[in-house]
Amino acid sequence: MPLIKLKGLEKTYQQGKIAVPALRGIDLEIESGEFTTIFGPSGSGKTTLLNMIGCLDKSTAGEIFFEEHSINDLNSKELAEVRRYNLGFIFQSYNLIPVLTAFENVEFAIRLIDKHSKKERRDKVMSLLEEVGLGEMADRRPNELSGGQKQRVAIARALIKEPKLVLADEPTANLDSETSKEVLELMQEMNEELNTTFIFSTHDPQVMDYARRLIEIKDGKITKDQRRN
Amino acid sequence: MFFLKMALKNLTRHKRRTVITALIIAFAILIYILTEGLMLGMTEMSFNNIINLESGHLQVANQEYWADRRELPLRDLITPSAEVETELEKTEGFVALTERLNFSVNLNNGIDELPVTGVGIDLDQDSQVFELDQYLVEGRMPESGSSEVIMGAKLAELMDFKLGDYAIMLIRTEEKTFNTIDGEIVGLFNTPHPSLNDSNIFISLKTAQQSLNVENQISQYVLRLEDQDQAVNAAAALSQRLGGDLSAYSWKDSAESLVTMLEMQAIETQVILAIILTMAAVGIVNTVILSALERMEELGMMKALGMHQREIVYTFMGEAAGIGIIGGIMGLIMGSIGLLIFNLNGIDMAALTAGGDVTYGFPLSGTIYAGWEISSFVFVFVYGVSISVLASIFPALWAARKDPVKAIYHR
Repeated sequence: MPLIKLKGLEKTYQQGKIAVPALRGIDLEIESGEFTTIFGPSGSGKTTLLNMIGCLDKSTAGEIFFEEHSINDLNSKELAEVRRYNLGFIFQSYNLIPVLTAFENVEFAIRLIDKHSKKERRDKVMSLLEEVGLGEMADRRPNELSGGQKQRVAIARALIKEPKLVLADEPTANLDSETSKEVLELMQEMNEELNTTFIFSTHDPQVMDYARRLIEIKDGKITKDQRRN
Repeated sequence: MFFLKMALKNLTRHKRRTVITALIIAFAILIYILTEGLMLGMTEMSFNNIINLESGHLQVANQEYWADRRELPLRDLITPSAEVETELEKTEGFVALTERLNFSVNLNNGIDELPVTGVGIDLDQDSQVFELDQYLVEGRMPESGSSEVIMGAKLAELMDFKLGDYAIMLIRTEEKTFNTIDGEIVGLFNTPHPSLNDSNIFISLKTAQQSLNVENQISQYVLRLEDQDQAVNAAAALSQRLGGDLSAYSWKDSAESLVTMLEMQAIETQVILAIILTMAAVGIVNTVILSALERMEELGMMKALGMHQREIVYTFMGEAAGIGIIGGIMGLIMGSIGLLIFNLNGIDMAALTAGGDVTYGFPLSGTIYAGWEISSFVFVFVYGVSISVLASIFPALWAARKDPVKAIYHR
């Protein structure tokens, strides 16, 4: 059973009177545990595709299935529920809350699920922060962390609720090559350890080397879908 | 709790903006507390003046007389009796009683004539009920049965009288015959009740009764009770016991026009508060919109993580409540300091009215001290915080309804 299935997915944006197609009939299946990158030039539709998979945006045509359940007809509240319990997000610009510490930023995501006791929550957050190498920096605020450290916090935040799928939109775009490597290795490690499915977009060839599946997208269409060991 | 904690932490992002918005609320609360304090002080002093110098706690009069009392009639008077007085003494909280006879006087100094109110007072009992004797600035109280009079120092000045002069009091009996009393001025008073100073002249009750040819009749009995709050119930109970033509009236009945005026002014104060807090609400709306615009990417992230609209709204409402609480506390502190300064120095009514006689309808003069009530503090604090929270709802909803994709990429 695929985790995600897209059937004839289309998305057209309306810019004034002009219709701008972003996705033109995407058919795609993502299995659980995959470590996939979607790559392509700027404006090719990578981010739009991630937003569709991430239940953040609605398609113009076609269908999206999450664990074989169609999400096309869900309202915004139901989509929020899907995201809340099943999805994790990593953003290019980290999007951490500046007034919260690293610990609190990670805790924020698990608070939304609210099924853990205070102690369980604390242990879980600390254990994950230690795993991403930030155990000693739990009390620091984002402005006291480097770019790489911020992205590690964002990864921990995405993983803390043990989601089925983590979506990362150009997660290394704001990082230098050394830090990018560290972040990607961490994501890879988490994928292997926790069997969490990762889909990330990039146009950096160095980043693509880490993926086990490469999906190329051009002008809103999948032009290449390659699996590798 | 976590979202509330986060909301409060958000207030530290732009401390200056938070403080300025809170200051607007604090300013509104300060204005309200000072206005309310001044009103309370004026009300309390006005009521005290009415009770201590004009009406006592209870007045017992013929119902017909009471209806026409402002015309100072000499009909429908009461003939005092031991039976009635025994009944009056049974009133709950009874302290003392006295008798008074009010009448119209044309005061003459040989050149000018001025209509004033004459009051015949029982000089043995009056000081048990009223405080007139405490406000003598010159001379002494009249002797019982004499034709000695006391009047306000201001009235004396107006009529060019001084202590020891004789004031000619032209009076008219119930039979419409004219009479005069040559009253020797033995005392001048200056009370905090301006109309008493301006237009009342006091004489021995017996002298007044003889001159007006009303035998031993009086206009009313006046009673002092232990507590002014007992008066309304005591008046109702006493009226029932007395029956017939006699009725008891509380000091509130005497001050009914003042009570009505105070009710109107209380509405005015609420309107002032509403206007100022509306300004504060605009500040809150502005702050929430600015915060939302600055944090659009964060809001997108929150929505991506599955945060519901209502949780985002609660977060902004929490921030607004925080601003309201900070502003409220600042306002209460500023208001308390303001009231303290008022009460240490007082406000000279003469300074407020540029030395004039305007009292804004209040029976008081001299220095006013502000009053305060804990309920006003609680009310204005809760009101301020509530307005802050309510004002944040619409901008918070606007922010929470943002499309997550547009929010994340700040489009």
